Amino acid sequence: MEPRELERFEAVVLPHLDAAYGLARYLMRNDADADDVVQEALLRALRYFGGFRGEQASQSRAWVLAIVRNMASTWRRRHRADEGAAEFDEAVHSDAADGEHPASELDRRDARETLAQALERLPRDLREVIVLREIEGLSYKEIGEVVDVPIGTVMSRLSRARKRLQAALAASGEER
Amino acid sequence: MTHPDVEAQVDAYLDGELAAADAAEVEAHLASCASCERFRGDRLALRAAIKAELPRLEASDALRARVRTAVRREAASGSGRTSRPPVTGWRWLALAASLAAVAVGSWRLGSARSASTILTDEVLASHVRSLMPGHLSDVTSSDQHTVKPWFDGKLDFSPPVHDFAGRGYPLLGGRLDYLHGRPVAALVYGRRQHIISVFLWPADKAERPAAPVTRNGYHVLHWTTPEFAYWITSDVGLAELTEFGGMLRLADSATARYP
Repeated sequence: MEPRELERFEAVVLPHLDAAYGLARYLMRNDADADDVVQEALLRALRYFGGFRGEQASQSRAWVLAIVRNMASTWRRRHRADEGAAEFDEAVHSDAADGEHPASELDRRDARETLAQALERLPRDLREVIVLREIEGLSYKEIGEVVDVPIGTVMSRLSRARKRLQAALAASGEER
Repeated sequence: MTHPDVEAQVDAYLDGELAAADAAEVEAHLASCASCERFRGDRLALRAAIKAELPRLEASDALRARVRTAVRREAASGSGRTSRPPVTGWRWLALAASLAAVAVGSWRLGSARSASTILTDEVLASHVRSLMPGHLSDVTSSDQHTVKPWFDGKLDFSPPVHDFAGRGYPLLGGRLDYLHGRPVAALVYGRRQHIISVFLWPADKAERPAAPVTRNGYHVLHWTTPEFAYWITSDVGLAELTEFGGMLRLADSATARYP
């Protein structure tokens, strides 16, 4: 690759490293896998970069995040054997996990934990739209590009995801 | 508005994603419906909580350094795949269209142009032939998970298949075709009353990027990824075909294919 093309890659793609890591971390739920997914995704982006001519930062961000997302699912498929039982089963775990909160001292840190746990417990297709919207600030159209679904689906998934997060917050509030 | 429907509408309203007319409708509904107004308040509180409590994560310095090193190593070593001339993207094609006149006089482009002209002829002929009754597709399905496996065992490669129905370009099916001296995958997409053919096969070498060609009302676009050579053609407008090409290229580049 020519030095100028590498420079262009570093200027266009590397600024999205934090966003790439954030999405990978929320999807993989551990640092080591998130780091590996990010590295592989960016190397893939490098190989395909010659065909990429999106000038706007938002376009290159959606492109990078789409690669990260797909790399995360490839990674899970590749390592499914190791993952196996460790995969969180929402139906089994959600009630038990809610019960673990001590009824006392529900301070700010607990609110954070409640939300973070509720987010981790969301099915992946709901979790990713929340991360892309609430944390990365993507538009519905950009989310649709990253996740490869129509805007109407983005809208309904976001609404379902929020409903669940809100229920989790309300449940922890009642224990106070 | 029904209430399950209104919840998603209010969410979209709060996200600033509704068109003005729809937003006005939601506002009118909120003003007259106490339970939806409460719902709105709850959602605002949830948003505030997420903003305050869920941090935007940052890559560690270690990851930053690791990625930078890996990228530089790959850029320096991967001479075979990455040092070729830039692959055509749809933006490049737009640029190429405006520069095509400049290139005509160049002797170096001469032989590549004629090879590419021959292939353009083949692509157009195949597309037009497919429009005759009964020739459009061997497998008719709008489901990419039906179309993709259909090619198994019929080709020595597995073509990526995407559906863009949600964006106005539904997948209609696929067929085998023969181009460029080899069996290739042909995917069929619809655009209103028009048909778009997508031909692809493994890229065997760096191919000279081609400017869009228009002949007899059909446009032909071509680009190469590190894995596949793509040729697409249709009688839809060039702007739409270009948009479709952009979506296809984006979806393909973002799809990881690993053993």
